[in-house]
Amino acid sequence: MTPTVRLAPLVAALPGARIRPTPSGVRLDVDGLDADALVGAVGRLDLRLGAITGTPSLGSNETEIVYHFVGPDGFVDVATATRNGAIASLAPFLRPASWAEREIHDLFAVDFVGHPDPSPLMRPEGFEVGMMRAPMCAARRLPPHTRSE
Amino acid sequence: MAYTIPVGPYHPALEEPFKVEAQCEGEVMRSARVSVGFSFRGIELLMQKRNWMDAVTLVERVCGICSNTHSMIFCMAAEQISGIAPPPRAQYIRVIVAELERLHSHLLWAGVGAEDIGFHSLFMEVYQARETVMDLLEALTGNRVNYGMNRVGGVNRDIADPKAHLGALAGLKTALTELVGPAFLANPTARARLVDVGPLTREQGVEWGVVGPVARASGIDVDVRRDQPYLVYADLDFRPTLHTEGDVRARVLVRVEEMLESIRLVEAALAAMPEGPIAAVDGWPAIPPGEATIRIEAPRGEVIYHVVSDGGETPARVKIRTPSFVNIPAIEAMVPGQQLADLAIIQASVDPCISCTDR
Repeated sequence: MTPTVRLAPLVAALPGARIRPTPSGVRLDVDGLDADALVGAVGRLDLRLGAITGTPSLGSNETEIVYHFVGPDGFVDVATATRNGAIASLAPFLRPASWAEREIHDLFAVDFVGHPDPSPLMRPEGFEVGMMRAPMCAARRLPPHTRSE
Repeated sequence: MAYTIPVGPYHPALEEPFKVEAQCEGEVMRSARVSVGFSFRGIELLMQKRNWMDAVTLVERVCGICSNTHSMIFCMAAEQISGIAPPPRAQYIRVIVAELERLHSHLLWAGVGAEDIGFHSLFMEVYQARETVMDLLEALTGNRVNYGMNRVGGVNRDIADPKAHLGALAGLKTALTELVGPAFLANPTARARLVDVGPLTREQGVEWGVVGPVARASGIDVDVRRDQPYLVYADLDFRPTLHTEGDVRARVLVRVEEMLESIRLVEAALAAMPEGPIAAVDGWPAIPPGEATIRIEAPRGEVIYHVVSDGGETPARVKIRTPSFVNIPAIEAMVPGQQLADLAIIQASVDPCISCTDR
């Protein structure tokens, strides 16, 4: 069974999901995430949540969220974005999501709705949430004439 | 009467700063809460400020123990994005350094574990044995830590005469089988501090998402080297270890057996290393737009990197998920019903790396 066929229940659980192969496995891009449907589908497919990546979107207050699930055929990356800076928490259903979401909240001010313990994880006392959203934290880009060919 | 004992963030029982607050009734712990973030460095964000070459040097500083793990997986991610395949000789060298790093990490842990149960003479014996590994690492890489071996496309330094190093770990194998293993696993005093202490059932391990030796001591049969073989592990007939007891003793046993397997892997790789180049490209290649999600088996377990390139001089995003980030929270599941005096060895048994966790 190919990975795409095997992941059909996951694609079906995420309406509008666009699936494409990657060197690491597959990636699904979803507009608006149904957390209950995602958790149910990954449970049926025996996928393990390995990590969550948050990346601030340039020029907006939104953040791309990529859930990295580990499966027998490689990674299943489910990518979506926050809406008004918020997204449903997976932590009530998947314990490994708890620390990952707390860190993303600290660094990028994402509000994980329904998180059972949204206390600071990496944020020192006296720092506001979203301490890594500052312009100085954006990726450095050198002027083109300095690029080595 | 219930009361709370705070241990950390700076405490003699902890190698690095984190905090465990144990809720106790008498001498028995009922629950615990773990806090981290006391040495947050923002390395993921700093990676976006370094060009791809500088980034390899920076990412090697995520951890002083598994430094090679971080530079290697970062280079592997860049290679996957670029479609570069390191030559076979470079892959053998990467395996040798990775397994030597696993050996010195597990031995460092064994020394710390011995210290935490008051077995000071064993601590000294373990650290004496560890010097064998450190000497070999220095001979092969030029450094005892932060080896600087990895580059995108291969490695920076060849092993000129691999077979000259065969047998270098023979003394360590003897020390493990005749001294370290029996002292931890058969000595009555040590057994009393390890057996049935800090239990984590298989179901709990799955729920908390633990990885590496902690998982394999609880009957969770995962090891990236076998499950999704990378480099040349499949060619070397890698054999993982597994135990089901789920206590501190099982975590010790898993690490001892893994060290013996690492010695076998190092010797097999030294003996079978093919001739050829050590890098697929000259200089530093430009990294095209793309992304890679990749995992390898670090000494403490599965480490995951998500690396994104937009074709620029610096990585656009580097996400680092270390094994300690998922193993440390599980301390909370190991504590209920345990003696307060065992908290030191329970927290140590997951081999917590705060440098990795906080990054």
